[in-house]
Amino acid sequence: MMFWILIALLTGAAALAVLVPLSRNRNALTENSSSADEAVYRDQLDAIEGELKRGLINEEAAEAARTEVARRLLAAHDKYHERSENRFDSRRLKAAQLISLMLLPAAALGMYLALGSPDEPDLPLTARLSAPAEEQSVDVLVARVERHLADNPEDGQGWAVIAPVYLSLGQPQSSARAYANAIRILGARPDWLTDLGEALTMVNQGLVTADAQSAFEQAVSMDATAVKPRFFLAIALGQEGKKAEAIDAWNSLLAGADETAAWVVAARQELAALENPDAIASQSRGPTQDDIAASQEMDADDRQAMISGMVTGLAEKLSTEGGPVEDWNRLMRSYMVLGEKQKAEDAFADASTAYADKPAELSQIKDAASKLGLPGF
Amino acid sequence: MIVEFGHYALVLAFAMTLVQSVVPLWGALTKDERLMAVAAPVSVVMFLLVLMSFVVLTISYLNSDFSVLNVLENSHSAKPLLYKFTGVWGNHEGSMLLWVLILVFFGALVGAFGGNLPSDLKATTLAVQGWVSAGFILFLLATSNPFNRVVNPPLEGADLNPILQDIGLAIHPPLLYIGYVGFSITFSFAVAALILGRIDAAWARWVRPWTLLAWCFLTLGIAMGSYWAYYELGWGGWWFWDPVENASFMPWLAGTALLHSAIVMEKREALKVWTVLLAIFTFSLSLLGTFLVRSGVLTSVHAFATDPARGVFILTLLCLFVGGSLALYAWRAPMLKQGGIFAPISREGGLVLNNLFLTAATAAVFVGTLYPLALDVVTGEKISVGAPFFNLTFGPLMVPLLIAVPFGPVLSWKRGDLLAAAQRLYAAMGLALLLTLFTFWLWGMEKVLAPLGVGLAVWVMAGAVSEIVTRVKFFEIGPKRGFARLVGLPGSAWGTALAHFGVGVTVLGIVTASAFQEERIETMRPGDTVDLAGYQVTFDGAAPRRGPNFTEEVGHFTIRQGGVHVADLDPSKRVYTARQMPTTEAGIHTIGFSQLYLSMGEGRGDGAVDVRVYFKPLITLIWIGCVIMSLGALFSMADRRLRVGAPKPAAKRKTASLAAAE
Repeated sequence: MMFWILIALLTGAAALAVLVPLSRNRNALTENSSSADEAVYRDQLDAIEGELKRGLINEEAAEAARTEVARRLLAAHDKYHERSENRFDSRRLKAAQLISLMLLPAAALGMYLALGSPDEPDLPLTARLSAPAEEQSVDVLVARVERHLADNPEDGQGWAVIAPVYLSLGQPQSSARAYANAIRILGARPDWLTDLGEALTMVNQGLVTADAQSAFEQAVSMDATAVKPRFFLAIALGQEGKKAEAIDAWNSLLAGADETAAWVVAARQELAALENPDAIASQSRGPTQDDIAASQEMDADDRQAMISGMVTGLAEKLSTEGGPVEDWNRLMRSYMVLGEKQKAEDAFADASTAYADKPAELSQIKDAASKLGLPGF
Repeated sequence: MIVEFGHYALVLAFAMTLVQSVVPLWGALTKDERLMAVAAPVSVVMFLLVLMSFVVLTISYLNSDFSVLNVLENSHSAKPLLYKFTGVWGNHEGSMLLWVLILVFFGALVGAFGGNLPSDLKATTLAVQGWVSAGFILFLLATSNPFNRVVNPPLEGADLNPILQDIGLAIHPPLLYIGYVGFSITFSFAVAALILGRIDAAWARWVRPWTLLAWCFLTLGIAMGSYWAYYELGWGGWWFWDPVENASFMPWLAGTALLHSAIVMEKREALKVWTVLLAIFTFSLSLLGTFLVRSGVLTSVHAFATDPARGVFILTLLCLFVGGSLALYAWRAPMLKQGGIFAPISREGGLVLNNLFLTAATAAVFVGTLYPLALDVVTGEKISVGAPFFNLTFGPLMVPLLIAVPFGPVLSWKRGDLLAAAQRLYAAMGLALLLTLFTFWLWGMEKVLAPLGVGLAVWVMAGAVSEIVTRVKFFEIGPKRGFARLVGLPGSAWGTALAHFGVGVTVLGIVTASAFQEERIETMRPGDTVDLAGYQVTFDGAAPRRGPNFTEEVGHFTIRQGGVHVADLDPSKRVYTARQMPTTEAGIHTIGFSQLYLSMGEGRGDGAVDVRVYFKPLITLIWIGCVIMSLGALFSMADRRLRVGAPKPAAKRKTASLAAAE
């Protein structure tokens, strides 16, 4: 309501700017408008006298200039008297008043209603971030913690709080960074190490990298009975192609396990796959953990061929029908893994074009590209 | 609510421009003073309304209100405060709003301070300004509305283009726009004069301060843009003949011509038809520049918008304003009475010569800028017209113009005496010759043109000084009375001398910085030293550093001269996190008027970096000269008196020249 009152006041003030001069007394107006031209030429005549006095021009030049200016002055004088009778017309005045009273508010309001969003409140960032926590979305809460951490990067507890949230939001990279920070500041804890390893594994599409492996190993060294790190270490052995050791690891993990636990099923599948590799079929176009595991078993050439096949399929799909940001990022990463930097750069360029008008997605793509070490532009 | 209030203010301003476009003009045509009286208050209210919406947009930027699409796309909460502020016009929509703000600001200035104008001219001028404002506010609202909203906006914006995150953005666009858009008011005056059929010396008098104001700011804006490109882009160049630079340079050239022809019109009522045409052309070139930058025809730092709809809209506006005013001109021009007559060798003749060369130079830049674009559109062939084209066309046009510059102010009105004029310039000629020979002696014959260029620059500078000195007959009347007379000289005389002196200073900077520049491009490891122009530049190593919204690799360099420490320079390569975009920060050390310029390239991994080191002799004179030119414009503007050209009568020429020789 306040908004509409303000708008009405503003419109009223604007209309007054038109109405007040229209209603002015006619005598006041005619008096002011004596010939401005004549004033200029009179000033010019004075200026000639001034220059003559200061010796800047001589008498003859001054005389010639005077003649010229005087001629203009006379012309201006005649012209002014021709046009000086001021004509007022009440119909014209009515029309002008009508324009400012009716048309001005109508045009402004009509256009505003078509273009504006009167119901949208202002959303300054600080106000959004300081609103009560229960009214806020996860994104806002995450942003709040992020701002807090940007100001207090040594708050280990803060990092520990946000790390699992990142993981559940599907941002394993941020999660891994947060866990690493928490561990650096508050010291190692087996559960954090395990989650760090898991986040790193997720970043690499299920591949247990050396970083992740060392995190898991450290966790096991602190708590030898922990299931989760051992589970991932077993996967790692499988991925490395150390088949016998992997089977041993799975067996020791499954020995004495609670059969109702959710992980047991997955563990048995992994074990079965290791013992009976022929049964593996690639079911989906995306590389599943099994595919990756399988790719570790092949010899180098076959593996390369399999990966390139998948990548080509993905590239084709993205270039023809487009796709979500994650797919583009995966494509870039795959090219980098295959050592085809140029193609990765091309993919980055294509992705940037595809999302050129969506800043949020674009920044994700750029983020991914920079992590891969692709040159920005 | 504030955001929507700002939006409404802009819409209301548009409605006001409609009133402004019609009512005062109607009044002027029917001689109804009451309708004409509407123009001034409405122009002020229009300015206040647009200012209100501009302030609102600024508040949204400062508060990082990402519910405004424009803020979301161009800001970031971690951006330093200054760039939140300047980021308002660091994008298409915001800069267009600034454009419109300045447009209505000039209207309001005429409305508030145009008391000395005849009411019909004032009303019609403001009405024409109202048309231009209406066109551009409609453009804003229809194609580039800065107040578009986002429901459930993200928590972080896309940040401002890192190249624009610089103090330069605070200064360059506002200055440039005041210049660019300032010429709209001379355009409005010209169209109003054509509508009313009053084109005379008085008109030129009234237009003078507005032309000077616009020209002054355009000069500063271009100079600032050039210096910004110089230190931010890291190539050490200060002018690239880039189409966008040319787009601002063309109105400058045409505006300079306008400034000079308006003098003739004011003093002698000659060149009327031509002056009005120049006023139309100058603003048309400003509009063309806006079209080139906004339509997506060009891609550069300046080309924010690449939406064809915007291009078509501006092209329509361009055709409407340029076509309409030229049609009006074609109808009115034949009805104009010719003014005062003059001999070829006279002050007027000199100013005509100036106009010829300046318009030819404008045409050269115009062709060089638009020909590649036209060719691309017609045949699809992409060519690039670079510095060589402009050096071969623009350069030779400037040489005779610069030779002529000192002659102009010493020639008499109506008919002049070239020999007498030359006599007043003997000292300047001698000095120019001396310095040319000195430069030859210093540099030898390997660069033949450069010493001649130095001579030319000195000739223009010394010519400006000797014009002032001989004008008051300084050496004849003794220093005491001489100084008194110097102080008593009209502002416009000082303005002319200062502006011409500034031109000479800029030319000197251009010649020395291009001809005598020294350059080394090296791969340096920590501890390496490069010798350049008598300075030893030692690379001490590079270290990473974190800024508020960027990370950078900062190199540390020590400059020594003959073993004595002179300065430390820290050029860097930055990567702005939000956009993952690299920029270069050059390290610059100023020695007198010269500069040592250091910029770092890619690191080689093992601590080695590619480094470019330049020594640019007297380069700062390029920009100092521009500042002097603008100062000249200010002096001229401050001159409240009127200009009268006292013509020398033909029959008494001999006695007159005798009198002058006394």
